[in-house]
Amino acid sequence: MAPMTRRQLLAWAAAGGATALLAGCSTPGTVSPNLGPTIAPAGSGEKITLTYWAWLKDLQKVADVWNADHPDIQVEAVWIPGGNDGGYQKLYSALAAGGGPDLAQVEMRTLPEFLLVNGLIDLRRYGVDEYASRYNTTLWNQVSYVDGVYGIPQDSGPMALYYRPDLLQQVGATAPTTWDEWFEVARAVRDAGMYLECFALDDASWFAAMATQAGASWFRIDGDRWIIDMADEATLETARFFDRAIDEGLMTTSYSQFSPAWFAAAANDKIASLAGASWGDALLQGVSGAEGKWRVAPLPRWGDTGYGSTFQGGSTAAVLANSKHPREALEFAVWMTTSEAGINAMIENSGIGWSPDDAYIGAPRQQPSAFFGGQNYNEEVFVPAAKDQNNEWQWWPLTQQSFNILADGFRAKASGGSLVDAVVQGQRDVIQAFRNKGLRIEAAS
Amino acid sequence: MIAVTERPADASRPGSRAGTGKRRHRTSAAAPWMLLGPFLALFVLTFILPIIVAIGSSFIRVTRQGVFGEEGVTTEFAWFANYAQALENGNFIASIGRMLLFGVVQVSVMIALCTVLALLLESASVKWPGFFRAVYFLPYGIPGVIATILWSFLYVPGLSPIIDIAGAMGIELDFLGSGTVLWSIANIVTWTYTGYNMMIIVAQLKAIPNEVYEAAKVDGAGPFRVARSIQLPLIRPALILTTVFSIIGTLQLFAEPQVLQTVSPAIDNEYTPNLSAYTTAFAYNDYNVAAAQAVLIALVAFALSFVFLRLTSRRAS
Repeated sequence: MAPMTRRQLLAWAAAGGATALLAGCSTPGTVSPNLGPTIAPAGSGEKITLTYWAWLKDLQKVADVWNADHPDIQVEAVWIPGGNDGGYQKLYSALAAGGGPDLAQVEMRTLPEFLLVNGLIDLRRYGVDEYASRYNTTLWNQVSYVDGVYGIPQDSGPMALYYRPDLLQQVGATAPTTWDEWFEVARAVRDAGMYLECFALDDASWFAAMATQAGASWFRIDGDRWIIDMADEATLETARFFDRAIDEGLMTTSYSQFSPAWFAAAANDKIASLAGASWGDALLQGVSGAEGKWRVAPLPRWGDTGYGSTFQGGSTAAVLANSKHPREALEFAVWMTTSEAGINAMIENSGIGWSPDDAYIGAPRQQPSAFFGGQNYNEEVFVPAAKDQNNEWQWWPLTQQSFNILADGFRAKASGGSLVDAVVQGQRDVIQAFRNKGLRIEAAS
Repeated sequence: MIAVTERPADASRPGSRAGTGKRRHRTSAAAPWMLLGPFLALFVLTFILPIIVAIGSSFIRVTRQGVFGEEGVTTEFAWFANYAQALENGNFIASIGRMLLFGVVQVSVMIALCTVLALLLESASVKWPGFFRAVYFLPYGIPGVIATILWSFLYVPGLSPIIDIAGAMGIELDFLGSGTVLWSIANIVTWTYTGYNMMIIVAQLKAIPNEVYEAAKVDGAGPFRVARSIQLPLIRPALILTTVFSIIGTLQLFAEPQVLQTVSPAIDNEYTPNLSAYTTAFAYNDYNVAAAQAVLIALVAFALSFVFLRLTSRRAS
């Protein structure tokens, strides 16, 4: 072989390295983890350690409760940033590299996105069916896709109306029970220089929750394709309603719920109510001087149609594709979400959202709350709310992108657009986004 | 197998030490490579290879059949399909347009401002130049994320004393609306980088020999005449350098809008080109289209810098 110069050597090395790298990372997440044989549980006496990546605070303290009783199955909690703020990015890259934890916190709405990159274990292959009856039906439907179950519901966010009785009293109103009433109250409150609610132009999830309450069901699976129905009558009705509210200036669009500007306005008695999820109770306590001023009422209803409540947020403990111990991970997740010890530890340490177990909401939530003026709001409002939700709703693989598409349309509201246009155009853009990925999708009508 | 080509030491050359010549030559040939080695390895691994991989993956497309890709996943060489998709994305195009507008306004304002500051600091009548140099430079030492958080306290209604004072005088200010937030970001960027660019220009001003000033004084030139006829022409290279850096920096704007997003609903997830590529890659999981976007951003930055350099060099000649 002819002698090689240094320059040639370097060129070959670089080319070789590039080829190896290209081959190595060209197609992560293209192999399903649910086709091969199942992984047997660890034998008795074998000591294993499970890792759980989540953004819940002090999750290790919850795991320690389990660890004390299960010397052979130790759980180690690792904190990651919340969802799209960096946590998912970490999880996706770990999966792409062929690693990752046994369990990960994944929001309900994000489960299908992880399915799309073959990131989740089908828990029915590890016997999850025996626990299905313990969970809230609405939530169970949101973790079940095609023939599988891909996550254990961990918490949820049934919605209600937080309100300030003192501010409403100033305009002679009480908590509205229907959205039509809400509109009248919003007018009166606005005349008094306050807002009843804000509308987030940058986040479509609140709007989606309201449409869900009205009976919308944007996506369903029909055999081997998706059916999208984002512009159904319930959604359009919801869009028209909030279009009207924003156009009349009854809702402010200059900030969103729980943003710094919202907290400042709420502390100055400029916000009279908030349609929010159960986990909003902890956030409300961040409003300065709010102690004892707020109460909780059921969400207003859409006349005779729709449901009594709806949901916002909510996450699962999902078993990730590269887990070596799926069965044990499943057992821990079920313990954490349905045992009294698990639920209470999750509430006390991690301030988790609403319990996914209809039978037990957790001891700290069974008592009246001093912050809400002694109202026993959890049992009074949220327990019935959790049972009166839209069971038809399912999430889809491009949730984040779809919500961003909707938010882009919503932002046009500031320059003369409408929510109705945003929804109609949004459906077209979402269909295009699905097709760009190769997924099959048809519009319902 | 691998022979290193080496010129034999020329022992007959006058003045060379024949005995040690060969050994000395070999060490001196290997030494630069050994010293460069760590740098080259990191440079190739963290700079050259990622670029090659990004360009490669921008031509690849992964499609999934069925509802979740359970009917198969195909990976194929897609030619320019990802580029077409990136360019069809109205938000991405809008983000580039937004950054061009931003660049035209912000870069000009900043360069003008830093030039004026540098000239003032280098003028004869200045007091405490060292102190003011440090003060103007200080914002550059604050990371962009922190700077944005600091400024957001002056932007958010209900927290901002500026908005409160203006409101008391009957002026309604909105720093975070869809029409104004771009300039609120421009303000943060200008605040951060003016001092840094000023330092580059000050360094160039200090390189002007004293004789030139003395000659000007003898000719009776005042401070304005000195600035216009001597200092400005002589700091041209520094001005061009800072402008090119600023153009590239503008297209790479990321941290400021991303942090400000939490307080301004007007900033979408594709507000700047880099934010768009980030969202496509890590929120939509579409690494290939994101790679195409990244390549396009680099091309635009390259083209803009090239056009600017051509324009300035043509005027010089």
